[in-house]
Amino acid sequence: MIALLNLFSVKSSRLAGAPRLMAAYLMRSNRAAPQRLVPPILLGLGGVLAFVLLYAERDWVEESIQWLRHQILAATGLAIIVSAIATARRRVSKRAEFARSWLAALPVRARIAGWETLFIETLPAAAAVGALTGVYLAVTVVAAFTPAHGGSASLAWAAMSGGVMLGAILSYGIPDPKPIDLPPGSRYVPHRGMAKTSTVRPSLKALGLWPLRLMFARAQPRLVARAILPILVLMPLGTLAADAMVIIAFYMVGGALLLLIPAAISVSGLSARWMAPLPVRGFAVTRAVLIPTLIAIVGASAAEGLFLFAIGASLRASAIAGSVLAGAGCLLTMTAARLWRARTPSATSRG
Amino acid sequence: MTSVSGHVLAIRDLRAGYGRRVVLENISMTLAPGDWYVLLGPNGCGKSTLLDCVAGRLVAGGGEISIAGFSLVADPYEAKLRLGYACAPDALPALLTARQCLEVHAGAKGLSAIAEDIFLLAEELNFTPYLESFVDTLSLGTRQKLAVLLALVGDPLLIVLDEAFNGLDPASALGLKRHLRARLDRRGGAVLLATHSLDIVEHYADRAAVLIDGRLKKEWQQDEIRQLRTSRGDFEAALAQSIQMS
Repeated sequence: MIALLNLFSVKSSRLAGAPRLMAAYLMRSNRAAPQRLVPPILLGLGGVLAFVLLYAERDWVEESIQWLRHQILAATGLAIIVSAIATARRRVSKRAEFARSWLAALPVRARIAGWETLFIETLPAAAAVGALTGVYLAVTVVAAFTPAHGGSASLAWAAMSGGVMLGAILSYGIPDPKPIDLPPGSRYVPHRGMAKTSTVRPSLKALGLWPLRLMFARAQPRLVARAILPILVLMPLGTLAADAMVIIAFYMVGGALLLLIPAAISVSGLSARWMAPLPVRGFAVTRAVLIPTLIAIVGASAAEGLFLFAIGASLRASAIAGSVLAGAGCLLTMTAARLWRARTPSATSRG
Repeated sequence: MTSVSGHVLAIRDLRAGYGRRVVLENISMTLAPGDWYVLLGPNGCGKSTLLDCVAGRLVAGGGEISIAGFSLVADPYEAKLRLGYACAPDALPALLTARQCLEVHAGAKGLSAIAEDIFLLAEELNFTPYLESFVDTLSLGTRQKLAVLLALVGDPLLIVLDEAFNGLDPASALGLKRHLRARLDRRGGAVLLATHSLDIVEHYADRAAVLIDGRLKKEWQQDEIRQLRTSRGDFEAALAQSIQMS
């Protein structure tokens, strides 16, 4: 125990001059031991699962490496561009965040501040290189067991990792991207059709709007624009405009469902806490919150079925897909909302 | 709702905490009709925990709480029907408008309409222009006003306020204090307020208590507060001396 405490004090004293890293380290240390163990355990399990999958699909892995070798220049270029843009964006957001941070006024030696900043800003790039190395090692081990071994993945790994590192370095040479200042979530909530009456009509109906509004608030225009891009890129050449619009609508409705379900679950807990001092049964609150959401899920699922039919799926397959999506969505929302409600602390300690 | 002749709030042997940490122990107190009861105490002494228990937001580990004779455990509906609780401004739903928050509170209390005096108070607090605004666009003080207005919906017998004057501009704070005093004199309900502002004890409170380390260290009755008000030195010093002597 004393050894552990010593280790802690040594680590924290080493970071004493770098307040941001020290704060991050201490926050991590403050988590309960089981919580601290979750990420390494998940990482280990994920690694084992990835290795098993790579081994099971070793022929496909071999083909992918061959393909990557032929596209090595394009892949490296893409790695450089993505890494440079991502690092530059992170630099801007982290610097803006630090300027407002509770640690902003602390004195830090210039040399330490430089290293600390560099570490924080390039952390995702370093993590990406680590992930690529992990995949490379796994692929190398899998390839060693493959009889028709067609060559190593070293070149692909070196080119991609080098591209990521080079992109991170180059990012410091490009001008700062425009800072992202997120407005309140209600900015993205549709205001049209909202009642502008002078009377207040007592009702729990507004609770039902909350998850839908949270969905709109989370679906920032920037996020939606970025989500559409890969869909467009992945469409095969020669796709008709009508088909493309149906496919985009299919993905957009699916995306809306992916945002709506967590929003409803989250609102279920928040509303339970807000409404706790009021004389209304928990069931009535849940019903008021969830019914519009469940109607929206059923409607969206029906639309998804319709889109599948329009793309060319059979009527039966489209109907089954729509029904399964509606049933699974409603069941997931109701179960998770109930669990989240039960898990949400009813009060917080404020002294 | 009719006023009650018995206690508006009765707490007996209350024990509460978070997990294994006990925050409140052996708390017993009663609020009579017309009482403005101020709960004082240092940060972290358990004031908010006590109010959370009274509001039914935190389940007590032991003891009893009843509002207007209705137990918060055995008959929570009737008890909460007579309760108005001003939540912390950050607990208000960000994506509802102020009007919708009022509608939800009134709906939950089974009202057919909101009483005129709530709108008059809203006007006095200069809140009316914000009725159609989303909560996440309101300033801290404006959210605080909304939380207090929500607590007053349904003309509750017991009004529970946690640092409700924080963030309010002086004119709004004065308006709210006067409104609460007038409401108590007219209605006969009670106000339970946790605060650090001694001026409220000096000018408005009927009774007060200081909570230290989860226990009621000292309680002042109406006549004791009157004596402190008429004491020669300043009120704060007299109050502090009274705590030390207990």
